[in-house]
Formats: sequence, structure tokens, C-alpha cells
Amino acid sequence: MKRPFHQLARFLLLTAGSVLFIVPLLWMVSTAVKPLDQTMSLPPRWLPTATTWVLEGQAVEVNPGAVPAEAGPDTLVSVNLAYQWVVQREGPNGPVRVPVKMRGDPQDEQVTVEINHRWQWVRGEGSRAQRSPVRLTVPDANAPPLAPGTARVAVIAPDGSLRRRVVPEAQLERVWGQTPDQVNRSYSVTQTVQVPRGELQRAYVPWNDRRDLAYTEMETRSAAYGQLSSRVDLRTDNFGGAVRSMGHFWRYLTNTLTLCLLTVGGTVVSCSLVAYGFSRIDWPGRDKVFLVVLGTMMIPFPVIMVPLYGVFRDLGWIGSLKPLWVPTLFASAFNVFLLRQFFMTIPRELSEAARIDGCSELRIFAQIVLPLAKPAITVVALFQFLATWNDFLGPLIYLTDQKDFTLALGLQFFQSEAGGTQWHHLMAASTLVVAPVILLFFLAQRVFIEGVSMSGLKG
Amino acid sequence: MSSQTAPAPAPTPNSTRRSPMTAAARRRLAMGLLFISPWILGFAVFGAYPIVMAVYYSFCDYDVLRDAVWVGPLNYTDMWADDLFWKALWNTAVYAAFSVPLGLMLALVVAVMLNRPIAGRSFFRTFFYIPSIVPLVAVAMVWMWVFNGETGLLNYGLSLVGIEGPQWMADEAWTKPTLILSSVWQIGGAMVLFLAGLQDVPRSLYESAEIDGASPLRQFWNITVPMVSPVLYFNLIMGIIGSVQEFVKPFVMMPGGGENRSALLFAVYIYQNAFEYNNMGYACAMAVVLFLIVLTLTWLATKAMGRHVYYAGE
Amino acid sequence: MGSLCRLYWISLVLAAAVCMAACDARESQYTDDGRLVVSYWEHWSGFEKEAMQAVVDDFNASQDRLFVKMLSVSQLEQKIILATAGGRPPDVVGLWTRNIASYAEKGALTPLGPYLRRHGIEAQDYIPGLWKQVNYRGFTWGLPSTPASVGLHWNKRLFREAGLDPDRPPATLQELDAMNERLTVVRVQRGGQAQEVRYADLTEAEKNARDFTIIRMGFSPHEPGWWKSTHGFWFGAELWDGERAITCDTPENVAAFAWYAGFPKKFGVDNLKKFGANFGASFASPQNPFLDERVAMVLQGVWMHNFIDQFAPQMQWGAAPFPSSDPDTRSYVTHLDCDVLCVPKGALNADAGFEFIAFVQQQENIEKLAMGHRKFSPRATCSQAFIDNHPHPYIQVFIDLAQSPHARSQPQMPVWVEYNEELMAAADRVFGQVAEPREALQYVQHRMQWKFDRSNKRWELTGDARLEAWAQADQAAAAKEGSP
Repeated sequence: MKRPFHQLARFLLLTAGSVLFIVPLLWMVSTAVKPLDQTMSLPPRWLPTATTWVLEGQAVEVNPGAVPAEAGPDTLVSVNLAYQWVVQREGPNGPVRVPVKMRGDPQDEQVTVEINHRWQWVRGEGSRAQRSPVRLTVPDANAPPLAPGTARVAVIAPDGSLRRRVVPEAQLERVWGQTPDQVNRSYSVTQTVQVPRGELQRAYVPWNDRRDLAYTEMETRSAAYGQLSSRVDLRTDNFGGAVRSMGHFWRYLTNTLTLCLLTVGGTVVSCSLVAYGFSRIDWPGRDKVFLVVLGTMMIPFPVIMVPLYGVFRDLGWIGSLKPLWVPTLFASAFNVFLLRQFFMTIPRELSEAARIDGCSELRIFAQIVLPLAKPAITVVALFQFLATWNDFLGPLIYLTDQKDFTLALGLQFFQSEAGGTQWHHLMAASTLVVAPVILLFFLAQRVFIEGVSMSGLKG
Repeated sequence: MSSQTAPAPAPTPNSTRRSPMTAAARRRLAMGLLFISPWILGFAVFGAYPIVMAVYYSFCDYDVLRDAVWVGPLNYTDMWADDLFWKALWNTAVYAAFSVPLGLMLALVVAVMLNRPIAGRSFFRTFFYIPSIVPLVAVAMVWMWVFNGETGLLNYGLSLVGIEGPQWMADEAWTKPTLILSSVWQIGGAMVLFLAGLQDVPRSLYESAEIDGASPLRQFWNITVPMVSPVLYFNLIMGIIGSVQEFVKPFVMMPGGGENRSALLFAVYIYQNAFEYNNMGYACAMAVVLFLIVLTLTWLATKAMGRHVYYAGE
Repeated sequence: MGSLCRLYWISLVLAAAVCMAACDARESQYTDDGRLVVSYWEHWSGFEKEAMQAVVDDFNASQDRLFVKMLSVSQLEQKIILATAGGRPPDVVGLWTRNIASYAEKGALTPLGPYLRRHGIEAQDYIPGLWKQVNYRGFTWGLPSTPASVGLHWNKRLFREAGLDPDRPPATLQELDAMNERLTVVRVQRGGQAQEVRYADLTEAEKNARDFTIIRMGFSPHEPGWWKSTHGFWFGAELWDGERAITCDTPENVAAFAWYAGFPKKFGVDNLKKFGANFGASFASPQNPFLDERVAMVLQGVWMHNFIDQFAPQMQWGAAPFPSSDPDTRSYVTHLDCDVLCVPKGALNADAGFEFIAFVQQQENIEKLAMGHRKFSPRATCSQAFIDNHPHPYIQVFIDLAQSPHARSQPQMPVWVEYNEELMAAADRVFGQVAEPREALQYVQHRMQWKFDRSNKRWELTGDARLEAWAQADQAAAAKEGSP
């Protein structure tokens, strides 16, 4: 009679436990798709929303203030909205609306505003046109005079070097600043200009995008609650934003994958060789030496951290990826142990028979043992992949140039720069680092679970 | 699991006898050494040499830029006088003393619950296991977010049941619990190991216990725990080694050791001395102490558990 | 024995691979158009980096032999030591003056004497307080790039609201504390209702109970809390005797810490912590508590103007020297700090690296850089146009502060990083009321004197040889100079 009750209690406990275990990860993903304003809202919202208000015939994304619990459609609520002052300017493809920074009083006849632009040099035509940002350079006294209709510009070449060129003015195009990103470019120019009042307009911008747009201002108005509509709005562009904010995301990813490839290869080759030596060949003292191998598992990394740094320094490897992968060519205790356990289960008769046939040890290793040990090798490869993907202390110590960073280190760097404010980007970046691991887990779930089980045998 | 029952390689007469080796034995020795030569080389360069040098540097004043200068036991006497060393040691001891048993207990309990057939078993296993493979840096990020004193999920959850949560990461009294709680999250590896161990426990043992009228708790203590004791031993050793060198989470979550250095763990302090203050000699002296601690704890654990570890095959 | 042979082959290939990986020689790099690449690591990112990039671009455009590649490096202080120790430093590195003593003593930097002579750069070109900071043990180790002094910034609107004269900042610390009480707004329960009240208007009982929530503060010492270790400067304190003694438990230092401890005593530790819980990382954002008007006065650097401009352009604000404990004998006290450009030891292209540094030092270039950083020029004099065009309305205040005889900098000692950390930790203990100011400082005194002694002992062992080596390098360079 007590059975079903026990069963149910166990089920409920397990459910509660696994929910607790998975909630932090879900919270991470949920924050990753929120706009910044909603990351800190209490009570926590699991799904980000966007509220819109039709204003001047245009649906504007706004930020409603506190809504009373018994609000009817006619209740007035305060609503925050964001807008830019814009002026019309002539762009390369017709007129564009350019955001400006209000410097004076918008009621004046002539309003003082700040406007931002940069130049780009267009080579070729149509879709094949190449654009590079340039800076108009001040003519210096020694330079030969310019032909009319040409301009001297400084341009950054693809290799990063800076060159001066004389180009036809017709090939220069003015790009008006749109986002802070563009505004902050080193080649952009900010000018203070007077604009007739009539040319200034207000343009509403989506509330949750206001931080990413230049020169936005905010105001609060009242709206009838019924006029507002809400919907779920997943901000998947946070991932793009996180990739951009991290700076060298793709470099980090490439470095990490390169390292994973090298370490997995190195580990599999070296550890299987060594494990073979410890399991399939009987030599005097073998098991004693193997105890030493097991013993090395107990050496905490911090113990050898400093001298190891000295070793790599003497080799001239500091600031390169080598300290992170070359050691895997020399086998690691844990993986040797795993493989040895597995190799021991392969019947000895197989190799004995091969030996009698005159096969060399290497041949037995490569043609008999290795094919049979595929499951174990997969496990070792997986574990090594995870270890490399997750490693933090190694990269922290050995890598100096940001372009060499791995994802884990890059994530920490991003956090130390942007932590505390940009939780949405931070969580998006974390999600990007975590996702491949979880994906891998689901693809190879059996291997994982069996691998872990294998590692504990007769520990 | 088959490997457990596989017979150990029968010792050949040659390997046990002390008499001069036969040509065949010599050949096998050469072959064996050749196969393990990558490990020998790697251990020499990346294991043994650094350990020896760590001991040597621990008696030196050394900052990587200048040559090491022998100063005798100065680093050790300094360490004795260094409050922060003791504080870091204490912090680490508290961290390990709570996180290891707590983690082991929880892992075992979850494993026992999962061991019997139940609906959704593989889902549960997956959920409990996944956190343990997530990159530690990302784990630290997530916990910083969850433990945030103002807008964190945890304090919100507590407020629902009427508790005003503490400033987890900004309050001296709560920094270590923060680290301990976040470490308990990653018990997946230990849990799966227990699960594997449990599956080798013969059902018949429980059945006969039930006939004898033993309560589930008694069954747990008298059958389950002894039967998984090898796994318990393995997890304990790994847990101890892992927790005394815990680095990533405290380093990322509470840089500099947190409020009043209440979360300054030993490995972080070694790192700071080595790479922030460039007192490499001092860092090495601490590293040597860390190594001795690990050896002692392992020895103690072996001593304490050794008699109780039960191996099925023996 | 065929298998043996093959195994040897494998090992050979492996070994060869490792050797090849190991033996990529360090050599100078060139751009496609044949310019020598000068690598330059900088700790700045964001708009400050852009400002330097503009100067770098100018340098690259000014000649066709060299090409400076600037990299923004995180955690630069550690990375540069690791890279220098690893034998792969950049040619130029942008550090802080606080690094000079420690790095010079460890031999991580190149003494610049001969280079300075070659380019005719002299001490009197610079603000004296800054020149002092780039020199250590009689050698010059770097040249200033962007200096910064700190001063009081106040919000005029909040002053007006509190009934204070918006154009009169506090002149003494006592006045600052009094104004703080007027400017601070708290929420208290009165008759079962929550009310927002100025701290000055609280009853004595309410003040003593400290049972309130802080809504706004006049001045909060941990916003931003970056100068906790050097608050003593405003009390006339010194952190060391300039030679071998740490002096952080002198009465002046204790007074500074006691002033700091006064805040939690008055407002309650938990209240302050709660109020400041989210400040930490929001500096460069609209959530900065000064910019969103949650704090009315801050001690901030010359750069603050830039963030006001960016995130709170409507704010009415002023800047003035932060008041000292005794304005009669000490006015215009500031913490003067500076970024420096150095050549690491073992740089491949030290000459080329210095050529770039010298270029940055030219008046027009350094002013362009300073303008981009919204700071002032480290040179003793600057052009009138620089002052006239400077977007900072109070730039003169900060220049005067930097030139003032009471401008102080962190001590030029190799253990400053740890000293600073200890002082910060002591300040936290005092703030959390777990230690009395004197007790906390005596602890730091004891601990740091011990560390400083060690560092000095180390110098005694190696110092003479090092000084000689530096002097020799200097002479050799001078001789090389004279021969052609």
C-alpha cells in the first residue's frame, strides 16, 4: 500500500530537484533574450514583452509605468517613450533622416544641433562597389597642390596600414551617423550647425532600442490603458549584440575549436599508445609505474603552475596557444587510466594469436586493439573536448594577446569590462558558450553517461 | 561494466621472478617503455620537473623577471606570519568541509532515487547531469546573476516565502555559502558514478533484507553504502582534490577575494601572489603547502575509508 | 623489429612537430608596403582608445618607415609582465604611473635616458608632479600621455532643491558633511506611512534608529569609491616617508579613515550598502548615480564631464577642488594620476617604439590626444587654443589642481599594488564597522612594512648590479650617439 505513495513522493522530489537544477540555465537563456530594461525587473519575467501604443498613426514601442491592479481600458497610465530629433539630409541614395543632438532650444528660429557624419570612398559601381571609410586630410604645405575636383584622404588598407590617397571628389560619399556605433568611429566628424526650426522633426524610436541609437531623448506621457497592447518579444538580436560587444568572438571561437582539435587529437594518440603500454604488454614493474601515473592525478594544477610557466617561458611559448595543446601530446593520467581499463577487457587471446602470426606490437595496437576500443576512445575524446572548451586558468596564464583568447577567457574578459550593466549581453554570451556543450551532450548522451561510469571503476 | 569482472592479466612467471630476465622479457620491457615513453617524457617535463622546481623556488625570492635568489625558509616563515594565508586556508577549509560532504550526500541521494525504475528517469538524469558539464566561467556568470542581492532570482524566490534574502556576494557572512551552494549544483559527475555503482548491487540483497523486515533507511546504510563504497571513496578523493584547488568561480564571481576577502580561496591567493604581485617564490611555498595538504587529506581519507571500502571482486 | 622502427618513426615525427612548433623565431614584422610594424599595447578601450587611435593614425601617415599597430589589452598589468617575462613584449606599452616603480625595479622596462636626449625631451617640459612620477631611482622609465586630477562635481539643481546656493560648493569638509545632511533624502515610516524626508529634517530618534531607506545622497564616499586608499591626501597625510617606511597609521591617515567611517555611523552600514548595491559597474552608463541624480556630489576625475555630456547633457553641474580638512593651509588638494607610455625590456624595436612615443609628446599631438580623452595636457604649458576649444567647461580647475603644490600621487614604491589593495580592504573593514580606523590602519602598517622590507632587502641584493647595468646601458647609448 505504501509503494505507490513512495513512488509518487520520489517522483515529486526528483521533479522539484531537477527543476531547481535546470532553472539557473533557463534563467540565463531567458535573460539572454530580454531587452536591457527588463533584465532587472521584479517580479522576474520569464518572457520579455514589448508594449506598443499607436501614436500619430504609428505603432510606437513604449515603456508603461506602474499599472494599477484594477486598471480598466480607460485608466490613465504613465508611459515612457523615446525619440530622436532628426533632420533631412541628402544621402547617396536619396534623402535620409539623420538624428542630431539637441544643443539649443527647439523653440528658437535657428536651433543649434550637433550632427555627425563620416566620409567613405566608393570604388566600382552597383553591387560590386567597394566602400572604405576615409578621413579627409588637411593639406600640408609640402604636398603638391591638388587638381580641382579631387581630395586627399587617409584610408586604412586591408592589412591595417594607413595610406594617403588622392581621389576624385565624385567618389566620396557622406554617411550620416545613425547609431552610437557609427558615431564613435574614429573617422567620424561631429559638427555643430544651425538648423531652421521647421526642418527639425521628432521621430519616435522603439523604447528598448533607445540605447543602441544615437542621441535619443525620453519623455513621459499619459495614455489610456486600453490603447496599449503587449506581446511577447524575444530579443534574439541580443546574441548578435553580444558577439559584437565581445569584440573578437569569432577569433575566440576559432581559437577554441583549434585547440579542441589539437588537444583531442593529441590526447587520443598519446593516451592510447601509453594505455596500450600499460595494459597489453607485460613488462616487469609495469603495475608499479602505473601507480605513479595514478598518483599524478593528485597533483593540483596550482602546485605546478609557477614552474610550468617558467618551462613554457624558456621554450618561448608564452603568448601562444602551444602551452595549451603541446602537453596533450604526452598523455594525461586520467585518460590513460580510462583507456587502460577498457583495453584490459579485450581478450588477450586476440593479441597472442596475432603475435604468433608475427604481427608487430604497433600493428596489433593499430589493427586489433584500437578498432575494438572505439567506444572508450570516443569517451576520451569527448572528455578532452570538454576539458579544453571549459579550461580557464590555462588560457588566463599563458595567453597575452586578446586575439588569442579562448571563449572561456573571452567571456570572463567581457564580464570584467561590461559586467553589472549589460546583463542581457552577458547572458547571451554565456548562452553562446554553454550551448555547444549542451548540444554535444544531447548528441552523445549515452557516451557521456557510460564514460563517467567507466571512469569510476575501481577508483 | 564488464571490465570490472574481467580477470586481471595473469602475472607471467618472468615478471615476478627476480632472476635475470630472459630475452623475451627484456624485449617486452623495451616495448612497454617505448609505448609509454610519451608519458615518461611528459611527466618529466610537465610534472616531475615543475614539482621539484616548485620546492626549489619556495626557498627563493623569485619573480620570473629576475633570477631566483636563495633566501632559505624565509617564504615559509613569512607565510606563518601572513594573516591572509591563514584566512585563505580557513576559507578553503570551510568551503571544502561543506561542499564536499554536501555534494556527495546529494549526489548519492539523487542516485538512489534514480536507481529504481521511475517514469521519466532519463530526463531526470539529464537535468541533474547537465550543470556539471557547463563551462565554469559561464557557471560563474549565471550564479552572479542568480545570487544578485537586488534583482537576483534567488532572493526573489526567497521573498515569495517571506524571507528577505541576504546580499549574497556583498555580505561577508554569505560569500562562502554562495560558493558552496553553487558548487552543489555541479554534482552530476558524482551522481552518474554512484548510479553506475548502484546498478551493480545485486537486487537479491535488498530482497532478502526486505524479507528480514529491514527499513529502507537500514537498507540504505547496511547495503547501499557499503556496496558503493569504492565509488564513494573515489568521489571523496576527487572532491577533496577538486575543492582545495577551486579557482574559477571565486576568481570570476568575487575578484580580489570578495568582501573583506571572505571568499579568498587558496588557489586564488596563490594565483594573486604569482601573477599579480609577482611573488613567485612565495606562491611556490604556498603551492608546496597545498600539495602537502592534498597528500595528507588523501592519506587520511584512505586510512579512514580503506577498511570500509568493499570491493565486489575481492 | 619492424614495429620498433615504426614506433621510432612516430616518435620522431611527433618530436619534430613539437620542435617546429617550438622554434618559430621572434622577428620583426613588416606591412605589405614594407613598413616596420611597431606593436603597441594600450589599456584603454572605448572612446579613449579611439582618441589614441587618431594620434596613431597621424603618426602612421606622417612617415613611411614605421607602422604602429595598437592593441587594446585587457588586464594589461598582468599580461605585460607575463609577456615581458616570456620574452615577447610589445614595443610600446601604455601603463599607469603606479606601475613604474614596481616594473622598473623588476627590470621589466627600458630606461629612456638616451632616447630623451636624442629627442631633446627635458624635465621642465612637464607638469612637475607628473615628471616625478615617471622617474624612479634616478632614471626615467616612461613619458606621460594622459594625466588626470580629481575634483568635486556637484549637481546644481539638487543644491537649489535643497535650499543651498547652487553656485557655492562646500569649502571645508565640515561644510560638505553638513550639506550632505541637507541633500540626502530618506524614506521613513511616520505614523504608519512612508514619507520621503531630508536627512537633516529627521528627528534625533529617527536618526539614531537608522531605520530608513536612502533615496538620494548628498555625498557617498563609495561612489565611485576609487580613491578610498588616498583620502588621506585631503587630510595632509603621507603614505610613506619616501624612503623605507610606511606611514599609513599617522594621525592624518587615521583622521581620513575616521571621516570615512563617519558615513556608515551616520547613515547605517546596511542602508548604505543597499543604496550602493548596484553602483559598482554602472559607471559609464545613464545609471551612474551621479548622472541619474541619486547622488548630488561626487569626487571624480576630469573625465567625468565627458560622461555627463554623453548621458545627462541637461544636467546643471559645477566642478571645484574637493575640500580639504584644513583649507587655510591646504587648498587645491588632488590625487594626480597619469597614463604613461613605456618601452618594455626586451622590446624588439625599442628605437622605433620610442620614436612613436616622442611623436605623441609633441605639443599638437598630445593636445589632440588630451582633447580626445577630454583631459588636459601633461606638458607644463599648453596652447591657448587648447584651453579655448576644450569642451570641458571647468578644464582650468583641473589644470590648476594638477599644477598645485598639494597635488599628490600614489607612492613610488614597488609594493604599491599590494599596499593599495590592503588600504582598500582596510577601508572596507572600517566602512563595515568591523574595525576601528586606527586598528585597521595599524594592521596595514604592520603588514605592508613587512612586505616593503622584503622588497627592500631584495633590492639590496640586486640593486647595485641593476643600477650599474642601467647606467652602462645609458652610457653605451650615449657613446653610440656620439660616434656617427
